[in-house]
Amino acid sequence: MKLKIKLPPDGRDVHFSLPFGFTAQGEKCDGVFAADDIGIYIYTDGSLTAEYRLTDFAEFRCHRMVGTSMAQGVSENGGETAFCGFSQDMFLRFAEVMKLLEHYVRTGELITDTGEDEPVCPKCGMPLEGGNECVFCRSKGSVMLRLLKMIRPYRKYFFAAVVFTVISQAVWVFVPYLDRVLIDRYVTPKTDNVHGIAVIALSMMTLLAAAGVSDFFNMKNSFRVALNLGKDIREAVFEKSQQLSMSSVSKRTAGELINRISNDAAKIEDFVTANGKDMIVKLLSFIILSTLMFLINPKLALLTLLPTPFALILVKKLEHIMHMNYTRVWKTSVAHSEKLHDILHGIREVKSFGREKQEEERYSRYSLAFTKACIRGETMWYMTQPFAYFIVTAGNYLMLYFGGKMVLGEALTLGQLVQFTTYASMLYDPINWLFQMPRLLADASVSAGKVFEILDERSDVRDIPDPVRLEIKGDIELDDVSFGYRSYDPVLKNITCNIRQGEMIGIVGHSGVGKSTLINLIMRLYDCTGGEIRIDGVPIGDIEQHSLRSQIGVVLQESFLFDGSVYDNISYAKPQAGFEEIIRAAKIANAHEFITKLPDGYNTKVGNKGFQLSGGERQRIAIARAVLNDPRIIILDEATASLDTQTEKMIQQSLAKLTEGRTTIAIAHRLSTLSNADRLFVLDKGRLAETGTHKELMEKKGGYYRLVMAQRQTTKMRAAT
Amino acid sequence: MQTETEIYEADRLTLLDCDKIKLSRTKSGFLSLNYDGREYPRIDATRLMPFYSKTTYISLCYENEEKELREAGVIKDMADLDSEQYRVLEEYLSYKYYMPEITKVYNIRDNMQGSIFVKTDTTSGEKTICVKDWYQNFRMLTDDYLYVCDAEGNKYFCENIHKLDKKSRSVLEMFT
Ligand SMILES: Nc1ncnc2c1ncn2[C@@H]1O[C@H](COP(=O)(O)OP(=O)(O)O)[C@@H](O)[C@H]1O
Ligand SMILES: [Mg+2]
Repeated sequence: MKLKIKLPPDGRDVHFSLPFGFTAQGEKCDGVFAADDIGIYIYTDGSLTAEYRLTDFAEFRCHRMVGTSMAQGVSENGGETAFCGFSQDMFLRFAEVMKLLEHYVRTGELITDTGEDEPVCPKCGMPLEGGNECVFCRSKGSVMLRLLKMIRPYRKYFFAAVVFTVISQAVWVFVPYLDRVLIDRYVTPKTDNVHGIAVIALSMMTLLAAAGVSDFFNMKNSFRVALNLGKDIREAVFEKSQQLSMSSVSKRTAGELINRISNDAAKIEDFVTANGKDMIVKLLSFIILSTLMFLINPKLALLTLLPTPFALILVKKLEHIMHMNYTRVWKTSVAHSEKLHDILHGIREVKSFGREKQEEERYSRYSLAFTKACIRGETMWYMTQPFAYFIVTAGNYLMLYFGGKMVLGEALTLGQLVQFTTYASMLYDPINWLFQMPRLLADASVSAGKVFEILDERSDVRDIPDPVRLEIKGDIELDDVSFGYRSYDPVLKNITCNIRQGEMIGIVGHSGVGKSTLINLIMRLYDCTGGEIRIDGVPIGDIEQHSLRSQIGVVLQESFLFDGSVYDNISYAKPQAGFEEIIRAAKIANAHEFITKLPDGYNTKVGNKGFQLSGGERQRIAIARAVLNDPRIIILDEATASLDTQTEKMIQQSLAKLTEGRTTIAIAHRLSTLSNADRLFVLDKGRLAETGTHKELMEKKGGYYRLVMAQRQTTKMRAAT
Repeated sequence: MQTETEIYEADRLTLLDCDKIKLSRTKSGFLSLNYDGREYPRIDATRLMPFYSKTTYISLCYENEEKELREAGVIKDMADLDSEQYRVLEEYLSYKYYMPEITKVYNIRDNMQGSIFVKTDTTSGEKTICVKDWYQNFRMLTDDYLYVCDAEGNKYFCENIHKLDKKSRSVLEMFT
């Protein structure tokens, strides 16, 4: 990272120099923070205002506030000195400088070669991540073109649909010609050639029947394409949503994902059925019709087409407006389905707090916003419609006027005029359709854009090109691991430890200290921001994600049961498991007894998050599920926290059997739960503060001792009341 | 470890008497507080409801010997402080919660990957704000109040987007 951004105004030769915007006292200024191997120099508004000696400090750090942060030095006795304040975009650089300075005062080694910045995209400023083209700014071609590409597997049907539409269009073009023949040859001359009239009537009938038949085939093929495309899109989005990393998935609500998978796919499907091929056909018929009209009478044709360019300009303008409107519709629709999902998901809470009325109101607010956005879009649209229609058809009146005059002056036959006007009115069909385009296109392209947004997203936890498929034994090494959900906000700092195969490790610490985060890293739900985790000596980044996770058994505090039977839920991790295996797993988890008491035994349906079961019962099924696969590493994150002590004891006995020979990492709030752990890791403020057995740690009288004491006291207090 | 009295006090809201508060700036960058004779050398002030009110319900916190966070008390309304004390606290808060106000929006680009780039004029100059996951980080807190949190953690706000010029409003239209 580049750490010389703005040089000191007096030209002093320093190793680090960064600009800042606030004095140590928080006044706005234009400053430079500079440091060499002797001291820190603070320049404000062009002159040196403070100077500190590095040796006066034992620690350097950045304190993150809300809108700003400050750089501080801490002396041996704990006294803090603020150097300056800065806005958050400088945070990472200041944090790096502070880290290097601290490293220097601790070890005497000053690292000044900090490299260059990660290359960023010149357009948007996002890191390029190794590639030389920005994933965000890379032109992806128009959304519609990409949609067309998705039609490819069904191009046969698509082509058939186009052909049949062209046939039926051709029929409609031919019929006015028959009209003209009828009028000019039989009606105007008043011959009584009934035979000729009959022939014409008959051919019209045949033609129309043919048009009907080809319409049928056209629709059949169009629907086939559209429905398959819809299916493909739904599946692609769903598949992608399964592959995305935890951090990508958790930044979207379930409601939003549901909306994208079902609504957006349906929108595209509709669009393709109704308009995809029309686009081609209408264009064709526009060209054919205008050519025919020019052949009949170029002057009249020109008059008819006169308003078209104006119409095109209007369409372009409208497209932008409609896109805006439909984006709003999309947003309110997502907000609406998110809310719906949220409320239904929390229906137990809604009921138990008696908030049904308020939720109804809340829901109708979102529903109303959605409706309003739709109405606004449609109103906007229909306001412009009559106007647009008028412009387009204006040519018609000119054409009638001049055409009528020509017929009177006998420059044109009546039949020709009739044919011409029929063509003209047929021509207005594609033009009018062109006018519908902005609305349809905007609606579909918003949805398509949102779909592609998901499809294009790169998972930030990726397998390397040739991942290792490892038969895990169970050694886990953490080497200087640091991690933060947000880059500027570290949760775990410099954790180094070794967990040997078969060991049972208990992780303790205050809530929010990062215990669950640590196991998330071991499961590689997130990638560490610094350091490395190795399993059996292999960095987990190199292990195939699927192979890694299938060998880890996890029980979380609140286990989710899928819609299905007890059997389905236990066999989830290993669908091919035999019935006896499942019973054995259930027995280990102490679940067999209560399952036999259920009305339908292992076939009892426990769907809908397993509401019909008690928390403890649900948890025992989850444990059975976790052990079924015979994992080499078992992770228990407050797995027994919601159980009563009695049940917990029972489960623990069976767990003791189970964890033998397997690496187990257990997190428990109740410290007594971890009594049979081989070693305990105490996390404090994101760092590994202590490790050791219960006994060792109690003797040490450190953080663990205090936790135990505090817990004993509250237990006593609870007992006393 | 908590003493019995602290446990007892933990569930009480301690409102501070503004006449007994004596705040001052320290070289640590934080504040120090003398409250009714008791000395707190390192105090951090926090707006409890930063979106709702900037000058009421200000919590004053310190770290005890075990480095655990404790609350000295809450100032219900800063207006009850004398003017000098008000100035000290207000200065600290506006530093901690420094947040440029958006005064103009030129354009917004959506990269169709969940990020938007908002070209704006703010009270601290012209800036293109890059917002990741904009559904969450670019949002209306009320019908008027826009709150923006950019990729680097800087925060911006606009008190009332309906008071912006017409161009800015129409640009914002699509994203709010
Ligand atoms: N998905 C997340 N995104 C952002 N921050 C998170 C997320 N999950 C946890 N955190 C934060 O990380 C810290 C550690 O959380 P966690 O590991 O769950 O603690 P615990 O030790 O109680 O299991 C907490 O401050 C929490 O707010
Ligand atoms: Mg946890």
